Amino acid sequence: MSFFGFETKLPRDRDGSGSKGFFETSDPFADIARAHALEDDDVIDFEDTYDGLGDQLPDDQDEFNDDTFGAGGADTSVGRDFDFFGKTAQVSDVIGEEQVRYSLQNPNSARVAPQPAAPAVQPAASKTKRSGYEKYSDPGYIPDLQAKSSVWGVSQKKPEPVAAAPAASTASRKMMSLEEVEAQMRQQGHNTSTPAAEAFMRSMVDSQYPQPQHLQTLPDGFPPVPPEFLHAQIKQGHLPPGMPHPPPGMPELYGGPGPMPPGVPLHMMQNANLPPQSMPPAGPRHVGPPQAQRPQQPQLPHLPQQQQVPLPNRTSANGIPVITNPQQLRDLTEEQRNAYLVEDAKRAKRNHKIFLLSRGNGLMTPQDKNFITRIQLQQLVAAAGNVADSDPEAVLAEDFYYQVYSQIRGAPRQHPPPTPGPLRPDLSVSDGQQARADNHMQRMQQQVQRAVEAAKAKPKNKQLIIEGSLGKISFSNAKAPKPMLNIKRPDSSEGPKPKKQSDLSLSDRKSILTNLEGVYSSLMAMEDMERTMPPPPEEGDAEAIQVHMEWRQKLHSLNQKLWRSLKVMEPIVPNSTTPHPFIAFLSYPKGKKAIPRIFRHIDQEQRVTILTMIVVHLDSLDVVRLAQPVPGEAQPSLGVREAIDLFSLAVMPCLLGYVNEAPFNIIIGLLGLVINQTHVQTVARTKVGLGILTMLLSRAEIVKEAGQASEHDWQQWVQKFNILFDTLELGLNDIFPGTISSGDDMYVWQFLAAVGIGASPEQQQRLVIAVKDRVMETVSYSKTLPADMGSQRLSNVNLFMRAIGLDVELLG
Amino acid sequence: MTAFTSILHRAEKSRIERAPSTSKPRPLPNTLLPFNPHRRFLPIVPPSPSLPTALGFSPPPPNPKPQNARHRRNMERLSLESPAPAQRTPQQNQQFPQNALGPAGPQPTGGPPQLPPQMFTTAAQLLDLTDKKLVLILRDGRKLIGVLRSWDQFANLVFQDTVERIYAGQLYADVPRGIFIVRGENVLLLGEVDLDREDDIPPEVTRAPFEEVFALKKKEEAKRKKGDKKRYDELQALGFEPEHSGEILF
Amino acid sequence: MLFFSFFKTLTNQTVTIELKNDIRIRGILKSVDQYLNIKLDDIEVLELAKYPHLSSVKNMFIRGSVVRYVMLPRSEVDVGLLEDATRREAANQAGKAR
Repeated sequence: MSFFGFETKLPRDRDGSGSKGFFETSDPFADIARAHALEDDDVIDFEDTYDGLGDQLPDDQDEFNDDTFGAGGADTSVGRDFDFFGKTAQVSDVIGEEQVRYSLQNPNSARVAPQPAAPAVQPAASKTKRSGYEKYSDPGYIPDLQAKSSVWGVSQKKPEPVAAAPAASTASRKMMSLEEVEAQMRQQGHNTSTPAAEAFMRSMVDSQYPQPQHLQTLPDGFPPVPPEFLHAQIKQGHLPPGMPHPPPGMPELYGGPGPMPPGVPLHMMQNANLPPQSMPPAGPRHVGPPQAQRPQQPQLPHLPQQQQVPLPNRTSANGIPVITNPQQLRDLTEEQRNAYLVEDAKRAKRNHKIFLLSRGNGLMTPQDKNFITRIQLQQLVAAAGNVADSDPEAVLAEDFYYQVYSQIRGAPRQHPPPTPGPLRPDLSVSDGQQARADNHMQRMQQQVQRAVEAAKAKPKNKQLIIEGSLGKISFSNAKAPKPMLNIKRPDSSEGPKPKKQSDLSLSDRKSILTNLEGVYSSLMAMEDMERTMPPPPEEGDAEAIQVHMEWRQKLHSLNQKLWRSLKVMEPIVPNSTTPHPFIAFLSYPKGKKAIPRIFRHIDQEQRVTILTMIVVHLDSLDVVRLAQPVPGEAQPSLGVREAIDLFSLAVMPCLLGYVNEAPFNIIIGLLGLVINQTHVQTVARTKVGLGILTMLLSRAEIVKEAGQASEHDWQQWVQKFNILFDTLELGLNDIFPGTISSGDDMYVWQFLAAVGIGASPEQQQRLVIAVKDRVMETVSYSKTLPADMGSQRLSNVNLFMRAIGLDVELLG
Repeated sequence: MTAFTSILHRAEKSRIERAPSTSKPRPLPNTLLPFNPHRRFLPIVPPSPSLPTALGFSPPPPNPKPQNARHRRNMERLSLESPAPAQRTPQQNQQFPQNALGPAGPQPTGGPPQLPPQMFTTAAQLLDLTDKKLVLILRDGRKLIGVLRSWDQFANLVFQDTVERIYAGQLYADVPRGIFIVRGENVLLLGEVDLDREDDIPPEVTRAPFEEVFALKKKEEAKRKKGDKKRYDELQALGFEPEHSGEILF
Repeated sequence: MLFFSFFKTLTNQTVTIELKNDIRIRGILKSVDQYLNIKLDDIEVLELAKYPHLSSVKNMFIRGSVVRYVMLPRSEVDVGLLEDATRREAANQAGKAR
């Protein structure tokens, strides 16, 4: 519905066959051609194609035709002043630019149909064009108006997805026939009018824009195509026939100094960040009447369909319908219309801003950006890929956290799936450039390669490369960082002495922490070794076997190193005030956390040694020693509880894992150690201590049930068990933590159950008597609790009760 | 993210003439490949709290490296290897028109030498700010609003149509400055202006004539400097070195 | 490079950054470079009223050297791994110093 003959669509919104660049190829000239045709009457007879509908048009609004189509009648000749070549030359820069720009966007069509000549006249020749259109003031030409609707992007050759339909449908029949007519005329017009301009265009393109990168640049003198015509009409309140009443907000939209020219590369600007749906309709709508969007599929086959096809009643993100047809605007409720107009105004404002900003776009070419990126990558390689070392371990060493984290957490999320959106036309490359680009790429890569090598060959210059980004960045800071604190030490005699942090002397503490780090570095070395394990050797492949043996040897020596730094084999000094180094090691969270990793790298014998050390020192373990109930306090301090939790989570599973496979004699030996070497009643008052006892007792029971225990072994076990039972019996009530309401006593019931299973009937009797009160209390207490908590407590108790053949149900 | 990678893709394919050419190209040693696929990789799994205590401890099984994880890692790595053009069918060219830098198809498992992910560069961060309207805050507290036209790896910046906005008290004023070239070290922050919101000046501040705002600002600054000095002196007596001695951050 | 390596794993996470001039900005960490310059998306300036010049900013580039704190999502940090990475870094530094 452009009455002025210029293309009101953005280049981006046009498709390949319907438009040939800045403007649609044939339309402006089609008018002229048509005029010729009508005058000369040698191609198409007007009467042949005129369906007479024009006669039925109401003529009562013709008085506005002059306003609509320009001053009427002054010049009725059919624009003889179309100096195609001259006019083209005036705007050749723009055309050439636009041509290549277009070919960038539409690689396919650019290759197939490069016929951009015709639109050239448009911007510069608006005067001429204006006089040319004055024939329309003659009512007899009204049908031609519909012919112009091809400018809307409605083309029968390429069936339009949905949205085009409403606009097209009203005049479809007439339009269709005219399209056909036009097609014929176009042929003629094309032959007569365009070759010269076309040739010129080609030469322009070839000579001035041999390389795609320049095309990003939009010159400052880019002539906008002012839609002043329409403005004038709207301001006067007159509307071209068939156009809906102007939205009330519209005149303001044009208040800005520069209206949107259709060719402005909106997409290069901020709206690249806009939601894809809100943007596309914006540009053209304000310059001309609302019109259907032309989808881009032909050029962008890889974009998902739904982004492209405007659905009739789709709504934008804020719930305002996307208007594709004037009719729709009228159908809206007042509220919706206002909202829509506000949105529209916003869009227009933004587009105007973008237009203003875009004038200097492309100062920096993609090559510049790429160049800088590569410089940085090279710096990064120089800094990370540490000079001469040529193994992947170097990268791992520099980027350990990221690399391993990505492995563990399942890959980084740096590349979310590319969000479908309007592809920025400035990013696409036409097929014609593809081959050349490949070539560039190869050369570029060779250069990067060389650059990287050069950077690596000259590590001395590293500092120079690194320095300078964002000004001076001194990496020496890593070793000698700028001090943020500068506290002068008070004279040693005065001032408060540092408080002792732990019961270990400072030197002990330091040596223990040193041991700890030694353990960790051995662990990391072993883990690295595992990663570099050579493939299992084939039979007879001596070399591979050799490699493998060497690897095993290395691993073994690392194992020995690890074992030494663990200090497990340090002699046990009885009655020493300083704890055994290994036990001290375990008193640090780092030490506890290391146990699972250590257990992976040591053999069974080493594991049992560790277990033995722990059992022997059970009552000097921090998690036992510090966990002794303090009168007046329901539970140990927070720090101790954390230590206990950590021990339970990190160390216990490892020990349990071993115990579950340990032979019976070892279990017997361990129980003996507990009885002989530790203060059993102290041990039993802690979660960890009870846990270990439970572990041993239940394992013995399993061995016995499986029938794997010899009679002799079993006798030994029973003997030890009896001693344990007798020792514990007196303190059985003390093994419960705190009062009944303090919660977690499950591990106690587990222990009691383990004892109960192994106990003789007589011992069971004594057991029941010892804990009877606690059982009864728990049962009654559980009734006051919410159902799930109560049943939890009950089932804990029942674990024990069942072990001795009873059930809480029996208690009523 | 996709925007700038695609810029890079495209750029990647284009001619680069300025790269330093030092020696004749020869294949890089395989130094940058983090993991050799022939080697087993055992991730270090820290003790997990969810490790069931009831079960015996069993070392976490070696995590078989998922094939696609490898691809994903490759995807964000810059390949240094020249692609063999013969291997690329036209179809591939269409689907991955620029797969040199970014999301790429599977790469040969031998693993080409790789550069670090290009997304982690200053250039990548500035790329999608180019030709946008930005607010630039300098180390001395100046606030400039303009269009970023060019930059380099040092984040030296070129701004066009720059306006300096001066705030003082509840007032602000704009001073047109034109083209601005900023040395990177002076950049504190670059923010992209939302064109829809930029005219919604917060109600707390009102526009005032430059002279008025400037006078007020001078006063404020003098006051602040005095206060800062006092605070720094006190902190220094306690042993704290001021965080940005010699710089006024605002 | 430890911090660089570390921050790389936090991309696409929401972080809060406090600058040395006390501005606090929450946003999605889009990218970080070897100087720990940070690109934040969808930002939200805390106490925006004090910083009217940031009212219309939607994403930003922050120079690494002006960052005072980065507040991270706890769940996205693998502490054990980070400890190991720290040990390796220390070993690397010691190796380089030698």
